[in-house]
Amino acid sequence: MKLVIDESRCKGCNLCVLVCPYGIFQEGTELNSRGIVTPVLDRPERCTNCRLQALYGRMLCGVCHMICPDQAIAWVEERPFEPHKVEVEF
Amino acid sequence: MIAPDWLRDDRLPHIYCTGCGNGTVINCTLGAVEEMGWKREETVFVSGIGCSSRAPGYILTDSLHTTHGRALAFATGVKMARPDLNVVVFTGDGDLAAIGGNHFIHACRRNVDMTVVCMNNHIYGMTGGQGSPTTPQGAISTTTPYGMSEPAFDLAELAVAAGANYVARWTSYHVKELTKAVAAGLQTPGLAFIEVRTQCPTNYGRHNKLRRVSEMIEHLRSHAMLVEKRDRLIQEGKPVPDDIFTVGELVRRNRPAMGVKP
Ligand SMILES: Cc1ncc(C[n+]2csc(CCOP(=O)(O)OP(=O)(O)O)c2C)c(N)n1
Ligand code: SF4
Ligand code: SF4
Ligand code: SF4
Ligand SMILES: [Mg+2]
Repeated sequence: MKLVIDESRCKGCNLCVLVCPYGIFQEGTELNSRGIVTPVLDRPERCTNCRLQALYGRMLCGVCHMICPDQAIAWVEERPFEPHKVEVEF
Repeated sequence: MIAPDWLRDDRLPHIYCTGCGNGTVINCTLGAVEEMGWKREETVFVSGIGCSSRAPGYILTDSLHTTHGRALAFATGVKMARPDLNVVVFTGDGDLAAIGGNHFIHACRRNVDMTVVCMNNHIYGMTGGQGSPTTPQGAISTTTPYGMSEPAFDLAELAVAAGANYVARWTSYHVKELTKAVAAGLQTPGLAFIEVRTQCPTNYGRHNKLRRVSEMIEHLRSHAMLVEKRDRLIQEGKPVPDDIFTVGELVRRNRPAMGVKP
């Protein structure tokens, strides 16, 4: 599962930034094509729901999805072998 | 989880301002509906007039967007004619408690089998921020430029006194609790009333030193006190701060109801 923000719906209220326990949503800095500063995702693969939804067969956490007033947060199936940004911690 | 196939995708994004709590209330209500496993064809959303009352317009079921204050009257009509339908009403504090105040108490008294979700943003949002019957004392609105001098209605307590079978109050910050409360309301025969304290950053926050959405949410979060905690404070003889409002389930009972599904 992959966390996505629907850029055509998000109005940039940053409520998701406020509620995510992992701080996955970060306030954005750049205007998108609709003139809205949408949040950016910081290592979204850490999201509980991304990791465990398939295992438990139900939505886990999901507070960002519920609080987003613009129905802009969702999870999509990943295509096989999608490239990931890998960060190596020493 | 929000039932995505209950949303009118072609109508989104909705007209609500950035950070308006109404969208969150729609999510939680649809989440509860999803839990119930209701079908779209047997569910009707009814509303009056106001920002909050635009909610049914974004939901893919039959709906009635009626006149200001009359949502409950129309909903009662739907229930009397077709008790087999599930009726959910979206309303605002102005719609429900000002112009629609009488419909509110009498729908509770009759205990008509429906669920009423009130988005209480303490203001007339749609018309530019006039004071409503729930504007807190001291709050600035366009009609109370020196601060509201009248006491406010406690909508949930009003519903309890008037006879509703299920009454709960939460805020747009408490998404999980709110979803559960709406689901409990949908399950209860008779009138279920769920008051949701929401943020209207545009017409309430802006005039009341809560310009940022995060400040409004923090205000809601920090002023909400569980009913159980309030009761405990009273029991222990400790003072209850007067700027708080209670959240949680206020009543669940089994008075005779009208229009219950055959
Ligand atoms: C009969 C009538 N009187 C007045 C109005 C103007 N009016 C439209 S919305 C509204 C207030 C809505 O307040 P509320 O129900 O709190 O909704 P909100 O916009 O805050 O969600 C008023 C007074 C109207 N549309 N019809
Ligand atoms: S909560 Fe939704 S609308 Fe608000 S910034 Fe996050 S994704 Fe955008
Ligand atoms: S579901 Fe929870 S953990 Fe995942 S992004 Fe949303 S708030 Fe963060
Ligand atoms: S005016 Fe207030 S209630 Fe209406 S959409 Fe804007 S923020 Fe929401
Ligand atoms: Mg209002």
